[in-house]
Amino acid sequence: MKNYKIAIADPSPIILTGMSVIIKELADYDVVLKTNDVQTLAARLHVVNPDILIMNPVLMDWSKRMMVRHVFEDMPNMKIIALSSAFFDAQQLKQYHGVIEITDDAHRIKSTLNMVMESAGNSEDETDSAQLSDREKEVLVCMAKGKKNSEIADELSISVHTVITHRKNIVKKTGIKSVAALTVYAILNNLIDEKDII
Amino acid sequence: MQNTNSFSFVTANAKMADVLSHHNHLINLLPRLGIPLGFGEKTVGMVCEENQVSLPLMLLVFNVYVRPDFVPDGDDLRQCPIEEIVDYLKASHKDYLEYSFPHIENHLRGVVQDWNVKYRTSITMFFEEYKKEVENHFKYEEKNVFPFVRNLLLHTATAKEASKVWQFEKQHSNIEDKLRDFTSLLVKYVPEDVSQRERINMLNNIFSLSDDIEKHAIIEEKILLPYIKILMDDEKL
Repeated sequence: MKNYKIAIADPSPIILTGMSVIIKELADYDVVLKTNDVQTLAARLHVVNPDILIMNPVLMDWSKRMMVRHVFEDMPNMKIIALSSAFFDAQQLKQYHGVIEITDDAHRIKSTLNMVMESAGNSEDETDSAQLSDREKEVLVCMAKGKKNSEIADELSISVHTVITHRKNIVKKTGIKSVAALTVYAILNNLIDEKDII
Repeated sequence: MQNTNSFSFVTANAKMADVLSHHNHLINLLPRLGIPLGFGEKTVGMVCEENQVSLPLMLLVFNVYVRPDFVPDGDDLRQCPIEEIVDYLKASHKDYLEYSFPHIENHLRGVVQDWNVKYRTSITMFFEEYKKEVENHFKYEEKNVFPFVRNLLLHTATAKEASKVWQFEKQHSNIEDKLRDFTSLLVKYVPEDVSQRERINMLNNIFSLSDDIEKHAIIEEKILLPYIKILMDDEKL
């Protein structure tokens, strides 16, 4: 059985430690990062590359609370679970792959983690596969306009590495390999006007 | 005769009509080889002799189409003169350009005529570009690869010419991907209510062309190129 890597982020040291003790006692899950501040999280996340991030939504800026997945789009395979210590409105929690309440017991936490990881394999992402994310659509439009990876990276303020990841996902989701055919796909799906590319 | 296994490898003694009824797609190869229909009970060997077609060439090509894993090695290759393989490839190029592509194009014109402008122009444009790419690829081979083979046989080939020969292989996967992409677009992304019947007809044609081009690429990559390498070794190039 694979051990999944978990990162935990919460402003309260008590909750952080408690959560990490509970998870360490579960088979199949390892805690690879715990932190109570956003800067550390941002700096370390790419290094430890967790399968799951358990995060208290209060750590997010107000302006970004409704676009959690967008914030972590560099890590499209990472699942994000909200660690809910207070009342958060349902719209906000919908952004996450799952929710753990601080009142949950170990058994319940385990089933939430299992549920999130199981959905990773066969998954909502797969059934959703024809749907490109907004960012992928932006990358696709740039590709259709004939831009190079470095130009796309500049325009969208992301790394070239991230552009390549998006491109791979676009090919995977659409089943289309050539840029010429992806351009047609973009036109057929109204992402781009055919006049833009001639 | 009911035993399909006996036809999993085509031999000179098999009856031509039986071979074709087991492997229908081989029928498309007859015009390229210059063989007319109407075989009666004749064997593959007899048909070749009668039409002055090289038997080793025909067996080579047929077996590439029939057997997914068929790759002849050096000694088998020498059974079939390389210039015959080149002639066959030229005839195939001509067949694709003069028959297969125009046929699909005609179909396509019929299919898209009821579509809205957006679908019509983008899909037509894609196919046009694809066709152009294939034409350029064929031209490249005819300009750089086939003359090199001729020069090898005349013992006048140079190492400089050789370098251009190895470049065309990469283009193959490109060409195959694009044709597959074309079918994906037609199957997955053009709304289903748009000229369904015609689209299915056309897709049938494209699928069979796609299989054919895949085999064509195998003949070039797994047979012609290794064969060229053997001759280059002979020439100490």
